[in-house]
Amino acid sequence: MKKLSNSFRIFLGGAVLSYKALFRWFRLEPYLATKIIAPLNQILFFTFLGTFATGPDTASFYAIGNAIQLTAMSGIYGVTMSVGGERNEGTLIYLFGSPANRLLTFLGRALVHIVDGMLGVIIGLTWAGLLVGVDYSQADLLALGLTVFITTVSTSGLGLLMGCMSLVTVNVMFINNTIYFLLLVFSGANVPLSNFPAWVQKAAHLLPLTRGIQAARMIISGSSFGDVAPLLAGEALIGVVYVFVGYVLFSWFEITAKRRGTLEAY
Amino acid sequence: MNAIEVRDLRRVFRATIGTIRRRTKEVVGVDGISFDVREGELFGLLGPNGAGKTTTVKMLTTLLIPTAGSATILGHDIVRDAEAIRPRIGFIFGGERGLYWRLSAKDNLRYFADLYHVDPDVARRRIAELLELVGLAGREEEKVEGYSRGMRQRLHVARCLLHDPQVLFLDEPTMGLDPVGARELRQVVKNLVSQEKTVLLTTHYMFEADALCQRVAVINHGRIVALDTPEGLKRHVEDLSVIEVEVFGIAPTMVDSLRQLADVDTVSVEDRDQKQALRVHSRLGSAIVSQIMQRLDGNGVRVGRVTVREPTLEDAYVRLVGGEV
Amino acid sequence: MIANLRVVRTTFELDVKQQAVDLFMIFGVLIQPLLIAIMAIYMLLERDASRGIYVVVGSGMTGLWTSLLFRGTFNINAERFMGTLEGIVASPSSLATVVMGKTLASVTMSLLSMIFSYGLASLIFRFPLSVAQPVPFCLSLLITVLAFISFGLLISPLMAINLSLSGWVNALEYPMYILGGFLFPILLLPGWSNPLSYVLAPYWAARVLHATSSGGATLADILLSWTMMLILGGIYVGASYRLFRIVLRRARVDATLSLM
Repeated sequence: MKKLSNSFRIFLGGAVLSYKALFRWFRLEPYLATKIIAPLNQILFFTFLGTFATGPDTASFYAIGNAIQLTAMSGIYGVTMSVGGERNEGTLIYLFGSPANRLLTFLGRALVHIVDGMLGVIIGLTWAGLLVGVDYSQADLLALGLTVFITTVSTSGLGLLMGCMSLVTVNVMFINNTIYFLLLVFSGANVPLSNFPAWVQKAAHLLPLTRGIQAARMIISGSSFGDVAPLLAGEALIGVVYVFVGYVLFSWFEITAKRRGTLEAY
Repeated sequence: MNAIEVRDLRRVFRATIGTIRRRTKEVVGVDGISFDVREGELFGLLGPNGAGKTTTVKMLTTLLIPTAGSATILGHDIVRDAEAIRPRIGFIFGGERGLYWRLSAKDNLRYFADLYHVDPDVARRRIAELLELVGLAGREEEKVEGYSRGMRQRLHVARCLLHDPQVLFLDEPTMGLDPVGARELRQVVKNLVSQEKTVLLTTHYMFEADALCQRVAVINHGRIVALDTPEGLKRHVEDLSVIEVEVFGIAPTMVDSLRQLADVDTVSVEDRDQKQALRVHSRLGSAIVSQIMQRLDGNGVRVGRVTVREPTLEDAYVRLVGGEV
Repeated sequence: MIANLRVVRTTFELDVKQQAVDLFMIFGVLIQPLLIAIMAIYMLLERDASRGIYVVVGSGMTGLWTSLLFRGTFNINAERFMGTLEGIVASPSSLATVVMGKTLASVTMSLLSMIFSYGLASLIFRFPLSVAQPVPFCLSLLITVLAFISFGLLISPLMAINLSLSGWVNALEYPMYILGGFLFPILLLPGWSNPLSYVLAPYWAARVLHATSSGGATLADILLSWTMMLILGGIYVGASYRLFRIVLRRARVDATLSLM
């Protein structure tokens, strides 16, 4: 029992910590700018570009795609920083010297960003409804909510993995920016996957977001939960795989750094 | 002819505090100072941290505009005529910053030479000479981020001489340098004066002011408390003796009570590793030792060596800034 | 005068040196425009295969703007943090000259990326990537450089005066892509937004660059765009003059811009 509550405390502790870290530089205007205005701008730009490409009646396609993709703002930038940022702060050695359960610490870091990410998507979907006229009347809102949740979690999983990779590379922001844009290009948010050559499509399905975006579009146009269940299962699976690989990398990193004595280098 | 003339220079800083109810707080950095520096003189501005030295230098180098008062450099007003002053002065604000770390020393110098409109041919020659002068020749292609603190400081010296200025402002130039590096830098500064350049040096090391400067202004709380040659300043404390007592852990209340003793002029305490050096300035000299010992013993303060000696410039300085070194 | 030009040249040179190894800038200048180009090409695939040059020019414009915006924000602020701003302000050279050199550097780097995308796109996609009216195109490119530099002169002091504005940088990226008509014509936008586009020099730049590269630009069209760019550029420079004076006043009088 004690072990359980202890684990819970570690999990929550990591969450609170990354909450504080996220909001350390909190000032209202930049936060609003990033959370409310920037997503709107992204949706507007790609919706206009999209309708230029495929006609005005395809606006919803792009609006929904980008609204969901927005989860990567927290899932990638936020989560990757949570892990990779430890290195910048120089706190890695303290983390690795502690007896805290690694998995929980690891996962705890993503928690805040999952909440933040879902919030971002909801804001995006709201904009899509208000300005692009996306019609939610046919949608199973519960299923949509579940889709958003699963997609956010799986994207955060990729973020955790990227965070670990940034522990060994130099530039976190470079990784953030590149992954975010790769997701934008290849997740089907803007480019219908069928436009890509076959091998690219296969690769795209290894990414988070791909199935989630598809499912969201289906749900909003009236599909039932049963119709999208396989997609959601796939998305969830991908997320788990990323978390698993990320955690393995994380542990490997700790062991190697301790064995080689390079921990101080971080 | 005076290179620098300062008249009642004053600088007040306004800071707003609080987020909801905002109040403005005024801090007086420099409180009406006046002094002159002759051409070719090495003038020292000596004072503890926060005394207003850097603020004064910033005003004289046209980086800050005074709140009141005026000053001229080579006859040009620092506010109205800043453009005429800039090409003729050079300055160093000590420290790590002020250089481009990602660039090599040579690139840094080339850049500043261009900023100062130095003709490229002249610049090339001078860069080589200056690198030689400050002992960085051979390492100019390395990036500054790999330089030690001392090397960076020396690069600063080279930088400020690129355009052959007539007046130099050196703000704590030896701070952070190891003793050898500091000594070398002081030699460089001495050589500058022999080239008929005017140098205004700020420092909080009195031995440095003593060793280098022809005249020293002691500044504290934004005001000049004394202005004289080092010899003249020492005469301020001619009448005093200094009783130096080695103590192990003395409480501030104890120090205050010593200050209350009759015939005690100032008391200062300096930390030295595990011990402290308690210095008492008094007209009475050895006659007051027993009173001091009584107080200390009576309060269980452990005492080591006791010496009675003649005052140095350092003691003059301590007295002038009221013991708050 | 010569001395000032030298300052611009040296600042330009050294800024390029520093930028070339900055991964963040490499991303903004090289990778992001490229990815946008790829995205746009695949999106527009259905519509028109000959859109290649349009996409390359358009994505190049996005790179130009993004790097101007992000780089411009830090032109003065980075000097502050590095402690080198004092050295510049107290020198006989003006702050504006230095900023001009740096802006020139980011604009040049972005143009390089446009050329790079051009090369890559023609390699991968085998699109016909010929520029319809090469001479007007190149001249337009030159004037675009001037227009963007003048915009950069506006951004740098603005971001230095109000540091919290730099938090808004993220939100300013896409709006320029939209209002500038970089990757789609502004007739897609609601009519009330068109006046906004017309006062932005990048809009006129994109307009004439697209027209001269995709073809069909009349002389009147071209001259109109050039004139607007030069006029707006002049206005930006005039406004920036005032902004620089504010920066220096804040620094020297109020001491709130802490030069140190």
